[in-house]
Amino acid sequence: MSVLGAEFRRDMEIRRYPLLVYTLVPLGALVLQAWLPRVAGRYEWFDLPLLVTVFFALGRRNPLQGTLMGAVMGLFQDALSHNPIGINGIAKTVVGYLAGSVGIRIDVDNHIIRVLLTFALSLLSSAIYLFVARFLLGLAADWNWLTELLRAVGNGVIALVLFPLLDRLRVRD
Amino acid sequence: MESFITRYRNLVVLLALLMLQLMGLAVQVRRTGSGISALEDTDPRGVRLIRLWANAVISPPERLIHWSATGTSFTWSNYIDLVHVRQQNKDLENTIDRLRLEQAALLEDARQGERLQAILGFQQRYIYSTLAAQVYGTSGTDRSHVFYIDKGSHEGLKPDMAVITAEGIVGKVRDVFPHTAQVLAVNDATSGAGVILETTRIRGILRGDAMGQLEVVGVTADQRIKPGEHVQTAGGDLIFPRGLPVGAVKKVVRDPDRDGLVDIILTPAAPLDRLDEVLVITSTEPRFPPQQEQDLAASQSEENAVTPAIKDQVKASEIMAEKLPGLLDPNLPPDQQPLNDTTNPTIAPRAPQPLHPDQYSASSNDDSSAKPDAGSTPAANHPSAGSGEPGGAGKPSSKQEPQSPSPRNP
Repeated sequence: MSVLGAEFRRDMEIRRYPLLVYTLVPLGALVLQAWLPRVAGRYEWFDLPLLVTVFFALGRRNPLQGTLMGAVMGLFQDALSHNPIGINGIAKTVVGYLAGSVGIRIDVDNHIIRVLLTFALSLLSSAIYLFVARFLLGLAADWNWLTELLRAVGNGVIALVLFPLLDRLRVRD
Repeated sequence: MESFITRYRNLVVLLALLMLQLMGLAVQVRRTGSGISALEDTDPRGVRLIRLWANAVISPPERLIHWSATGTSFTWSNYIDLVHVRQQNKDLENTIDRLRLEQAALLEDARQGERLQAILGFQQRYIYSTLAAQVYGTSGTDRSHVFYIDKGSHEGLKPDMAVITAEGIVGKVRDVFPHTAQVLAVNDATSGAGVILETTRIRGILRGDAMGQLEVVGVTADQRIKPGEHVQTAGGDLIFPRGLPVGAVKKVVRDPDRDGLVDIILTPAAPLDRLDEVLVITSTEPRFPPQQEQDLAASQSEENAVTPAIKDQVKASEIMAEKLPGLLDPNLPPDQQPLNDTTNPTIAPRAPQPLHPDQYSASSNDDSSAKPDAGSTPAANHPSAGSGEPGGAGKPSSKQEPQSPSPRNP
């Protein structure tokens, strides 16, 4: 992992994408996240909205955009479930902010780094979700650490394939 | 102040968004009398609006994907992959005939049950009308076991209607939108239904665990609960009618929180993770629906038509038995029955003597019995032919063992 200085950071490329990509990719992630579990059955160990949040936050290297993207994706996920609206929203808001902040400091062209970061942020998202549900709201939210670990691994594996595909959509100077 | 906000803009936005969402969460959760937090039974107006918008954005493309996949599957299975369909249809018709007869047999019990319930002042409610719906999407997370169906308030759906399949119960309608509805599956942790074990008649509350498994919680430990026992709805929750299949006992585990109690893990009767079509129970009545009444009438008439035919057959056989001499004489004691009489064995009639004896005649058979090519005769090829016992071929008929008297030769 290459940690860069302030001068280098300014020179680092900020990835830009067409507006359509900013609209359709998150929408596609939300739709597929809602539809794919019908096909995958109980093996729904992935979180496409989280992946999209991490991808755009890392690529844009902007914590503000990452925060907003994470909040929108999380709130949509909450709205589609029967859980209170805001639990996923808080988790993904924090994840988007952190991904945007980390994106300034690391080489986001390295696939391995992005995958490891996705794995770590996925675990963090689960931890924040459970913290909010159990300790802040006092809900009887059962959880299984193995499922959360498998979800993080699944997200990492999907990121390995998805991120290079999404990289092709960026606007090249 | 302005420079502070500009400098820490990212952090300020983050904190503002987190605060907003926390405040939003606060209005959605209420604390119960026992000090436990729980969700409001119905969403506040603002929350419902957000769910409605999210559903309006996500549902159309999701349904499009679902219909495309379903259309492809439908075309394949209904127009291309039709091998053995005719045979299956024939088998199904036979099954329907058989079930009609079984239904007619059970009808009398059902009527009697109705009468007894009326006497006891308890009214069993039957599924009066249902609405078929397609499942097209889920919540997208295993932390919320809900799914979406393509029928909504415009089709008459209301919250708390039971959702079932032919195999068993599935869930209840939680939120209704104009053309879609959200269904809370029975394997969600916040779900609840009254159930009863089929043979032991032990009652409990059905819910889901963290892994999405069905479990009956708060059951007193009982040695009689064995894996494989079927579990049905108890009917006390006013959502699911009584007697619907829920699942079968998979295993019994100790309740981690309460001593002396066990949790019963179930194998669901309905495939909860792969649902395609479901039925929403739109109304229940204390009487059979018209369609079922018609089926019952058809079954009854079919049984009425079949029963005289069977009686006629029995009668005809009795008449035949009276006309023909039987093996058992009802007027004689068992030891004097003609069947047991060996004093006067029936002798098989001797074959008439041929006018022109040849190699197949009886006299030549005696001579040819030693010859190997004598086996070419049809009678010799079949040991049982002619004599009635193995090895009897070629022997004179007078040496045969006594035979049972036949109706023709009493």
